[in-house]
Amino acid sequence: MATRNRTVEFRKHRDAVKSVRAPLSSSASASSTGPVIEMVSLLPSNRSSYAPLSTEDPSTSRDAFTVGLPPSWVDDSEEIATAIQRARVKISELTKAHSKALMPSFGDDKEDQRLIETLTQEITSLLRKSEVRLKRLSAASGSSEDSNVRKNVQRSLATDLQNLSMDLRRKQSAYLKRLQQQKEGYDGVDLEMNFNGSKFGSHDDEFSDVGFSEEQMTKLKKSEQFSVEREREIEQVVKSVHELAQIMKDLSVLVIDQGTIVDRIDYNIQSVSTSVEDGLEQLQKAERTQKKGGMIMCATSLVIMCFIMLVLLILKEILL
Amino acid sequence: MVVTSSARDYINRILQDISGMKVLILDSQTVGVVSVVYSQSELLQKEVFLVELVDSISKSSESMSHLKAIYFLRPTSENIQFLRRQLASPRFGEYHLFFSNILKDTQIHILADSDEQEVVQQVQEFYADFVAIDPYHFTFHVPSHYIYMLPAVVDPSTVQRFCDRVVDGLAAVFLALKRRPVIRYQRTSDIAKRIAQEASKLMYQEESGLFDFRRMEVSPLLLVIDRRDDPVTPLLNQWTYQAMVHELIGIEDNKVDLKSIGKFPNDQEEVVLSSEQDPFFKVNMYENFGDIGMNIKRMVDEFQQVSKSNQNIQTIEDMAKFVDNYPEYRKMHGNVTKHVTLVTEMSKIVDERKLMSVSQTEQELACNGGQGAAFEAVTNLLNNESVSDLDRLRLVMLYALRYEKDSPVQLMQLFNKLASRSAKYKPGLVQFLLKQAGVDKRMGDLFGNRDLMNIARNMARGLKGVENVYTQHQPLLFQIMESIVKGRLRDVDYPFVGNHYQQGRPQDVIIFIVGGTTYEESRSVALQNANNTGIRFILGGSSVLNSKRFLRDLEEAQRVARSSTTVV
Repeated sequence: MATRNRTVEFRKHRDAVKSVRAPLSSSASASSTGPVIEMVSLLPSNRSSYAPLSTEDPSTSRDAFTVGLPPSWVDDSEEIATAIQRARVKISELTKAHSKALMPSFGDDKEDQRLIETLTQEITSLLRKSEVRLKRLSAASGSSEDSNVRKNVQRSLATDLQNLSMDLRRKQSAYLKRLQQQKEGYDGVDLEMNFNGSKFGSHDDEFSDVGFSEEQMTKLKKSEQFSVEREREIEQVVKSVHELAQIMKDLSVLVIDQGTIVDRIDYNIQSVSTSVEDGLEQLQKAERTQKKGGMIMCATSLVIMCFIMLVLLILKEILL
Repeated sequence: MVVTSSARDYINRILQDISGMKVLILDSQTVGVVSVVYSQSELLQKEVFLVELVDSISKSSESMSHLKAIYFLRPTSENIQFLRRQLASPRFGEYHLFFSNILKDTQIHILADSDEQEVVQQVQEFYADFVAIDPYHFTFHVPSHYIYMLPAVVDPSTVQRFCDRVVDGLAAVFLALKRRPVIRYQRTSDIAKRIAQEASKLMYQEESGLFDFRRMEVSPLLLVIDRRDDPVTPLLNQWTYQAMVHELIGIEDNKVDLKSIGKFPNDQEEVVLSSEQDPFFKVNMYENFGDIGMNIKRMVDEFQQVSKSNQNIQTIEDMAKFVDNYPEYRKMHGNVTKHVTLVTEMSKIVDERKLMSVSQTEQELACNGGQGAAFEAVTNLLNNESVSDLDRLRLVMLYALRYEKDSPVQLMQLFNKLASRSAKYKPGLVQFLLKQAGVDKRMGDLFGNRDLMNIARNMARGLKGVENVYTQHQPLLFQIMESIVKGRLRDVDYPFVGNHYQQGRPQDVIIFIVGGTTYEESRSVALQNANNTGIRFILGGSSVLNSKRFLRDLEEAQRVARSSTTVV
C-alpha cells in the first residue's frame, strides 16, 4: 500500500504563485492610477503593499467562509450526538449498578434498586428524546444536496441509536433473567429454610409446643416482602423493554440494511441523480401545462372576441 | 496480498484522518472502485454524509462550508478542470485531494494556481485505481473496449488511451501491493507487447523511484496475455453460480440488474452479489447449478425454522429474543429472497433457451474430438426453433474455431444455414472472429490437440469419464497457470521485457488479460489458489466478459474495421 504525499510540492508552488501574484496585483493597481507615474510608483508601492496584502488576503477569505454559518440542523444533530454519548455513559453506569445489585448483599439494597430505576428511566427518556429530535431532522426544507446530507446524518445517528438501544435491551434482559433466577433461588432457599425450620420445629415439638418461632416469622415476612419487591422490579424492567422495542421499531425504518442494494454507494448516487432528473422532468411538465393553459385561454378569448366583433359588424351592416 | 483488502485499506486511510462532517466526491471510474469494497453504512460511520460525482457537484453553487470535501479522482485532465473551477469559487470549508494514480507535475501546478483562497489542505496519491470485484480478481472498465482487436494504425489515439488506462491501472495494482514485477507477455499479440513494454518503461524508468521498494524477495511476475488466444471461454454457457449469473443476467461491479428480465418488487430490482458481504454467496459462488439448488433448499429450510420460532411469541422473553434477532432475521430474509429469485429466473431462462442441450454440444465442441457427430449436433440445434439466435451464432463460432482447417465445406454449410436462420447477426461475424482468433493467430494449445502430451492427456481424460458434462471445459488460463507452477512457461512464447529476468520461482503472479476476463477464469484462479502450491495468482482484465459483451466487442471492431477500410 504505497502512497505518495504531494502536498509539499503543491504548497511550494502555491506559495510561489502567491508571491508572484501579490506584486503583480499591486503593480496592476498602480498602473491603473496612471500610466505616467507607473515607473516611479512601482518600486515603493511594491514593498509597502506586499506585506499587508499577503497577510490580509487569506484572513479575509477565511472570514468570508466562517460567516456562512452552518444550517440549524447541524446543531440538532450535534445535540443528538451528545445525548447519545451521555446515554452511553449512563449505560455503562447501569451495567455497574446491575452487577452490584445482583451481588448477594446483607445490607439494604434499596439504594441500588432506586439507582437502577432512575438510571433506566433517564436512559430511556434520553433515547426517546433523541428519537423525536431525529425525526425532526428531516423535516426542515432545503436544497436537494442539503436534504441528502440531512438524510444521511439521520441514518447514521439512527444506526447509533439503534445499536445503543439494542445494547441496553440486551443488558436489561440479561439482568432480568438473572433476577428471576435469583428469585427462584431465593424461593428455594426459603423453602429449604422453612423445611429446616419445620424440621427444627418438629424437633422442638417434643420439648415446646410453639408453631413458628418469632425469628422464623420475621424471616418469612421479610422474604415475602422481598419477593414482592422483586416482582415490581421485574415489571418495571419489562415495561422498559417494551418501550425500547417501540423505539427500535420506529428506528428500523431509517437504518440501512447491510449488504443490500441500498447499502451500495453507486446505487445511492444513481438514485439521487434519477430522482433529481425526475423532479426536473415534473417541473418542466408542470411548466408546459401551465403555459399551455394560458395560451389556450388567450386563444379562445381571442376567438370569442373575433366572433363578437363579427356579429357586431354584421349587425352594424344590417342596421345601417 | 488480496486486492479487495488493499483497496479497502486505501479508502479507510483516506477517511479516517479527517474528522468532522465530510463530503466524498468521486468520478465515474472511482465510484466503481469505492463501491465494490465499501458500503454506504460504513461511509456513514466515518461521518461521510454526502457522496457526489465530480461533475454534478460543480453544478450547484450553494455554500456548504460546514462540510469538508474529500476528492478521490483519477488524475485525468477533465477532473483537473472540474477541480480548478471548483477551487476558484470554493463551496466547502476544506479540500482534501486524493488521486488514484500518479499526478503529473503540470497538474499540480494547475491546481496550485487556482487555489487562491488556500482551501486545499492536502494533495495525495492513493493508488486504488482498480475495481477489486473479488479477492483475486480485478478489472479496469476501460472505455471503447473493442479497440484491442484492431491494429494500432486504425485509430491510434483510441488505442493509446486504451493502453494508457491499462498501464496506469497495472501500475496502481503493483503500487498497492508495494512490489515491482518482472514483466512477460504473449509473443503473438501486438497489444499485449505494447502494454508490457509501456508498463516496464513506467516502472523501471519514468517512475523508478516510486517503484523502488528495496525488497530482497523474489519479484512477482506480471504476465500480459491476449483474449484472442482463448476465444472459446467467453463463448461458452456457464454452469457455476457466479459465472452463470453473469452469462444469463449480467453482473456489473458485483451488482445484478434484474429489471431487464422481468418485473420484480422494488427492493429486488437490483441485488448485490458480493463474496465479501454475502456469506452464502462466498461459499457457493463456484459451485455448479445443481448443487446451488440443493444448498438454497437447505437455506430456505433453515430460514423456515427461524421464522417459525419467531411466530410463536408468548412470553416476554420470546419477545425480547425476537427483537434481538430481528435485524439478523431481516437480513436473512433478504438474502434468501435474493438467491431464490436469481436461481428461479436462471432456471426459467435455461428451460426457455434449451440451454441444457445447447451447452452439452458446446462442451463437446470445446473439449472432445469427433467432427462428424459435432456437425450433426450443431445442424440439429440450428434447426431447432426454440434455440435462440445468440446460441446458434455461438455454436457456429465454436465449430468454426475448432474445425477451421478440417472441413471448409461443412463450415460453409453451417454459415449458410446460420444466415438463413437468424438474420439478426451481421454476416461475416464468424469469419471476422476467425480472422481475429483463428488457428493461425493463436499460440496456446487451446483444444489440446497440438502436441502429443496434450493429446494423450485428453484421451486419458476421455477414458476416465467426466464428472459433469456441463463443466468439463478448462480455460486455457488453467494450462498457463500449471506451466507457471511447474516453471515450464516457455521464454520463446512468453518473452521477458527488457533485461529483468525472473530469479527463482515467483510467489505472486498477476495475469492480465487484454480484452477482458471471464468468471470461469476467475473461478479457475480461485481454485488454483486454494490448492496452496506456494504461488498466488491474481487475475485482472480490461473488463469482465460474458458472451454478449464479447460478441458486442467483436461486432463493434468489425464495424470500425470495415469503415476504416472503405475510407482508405
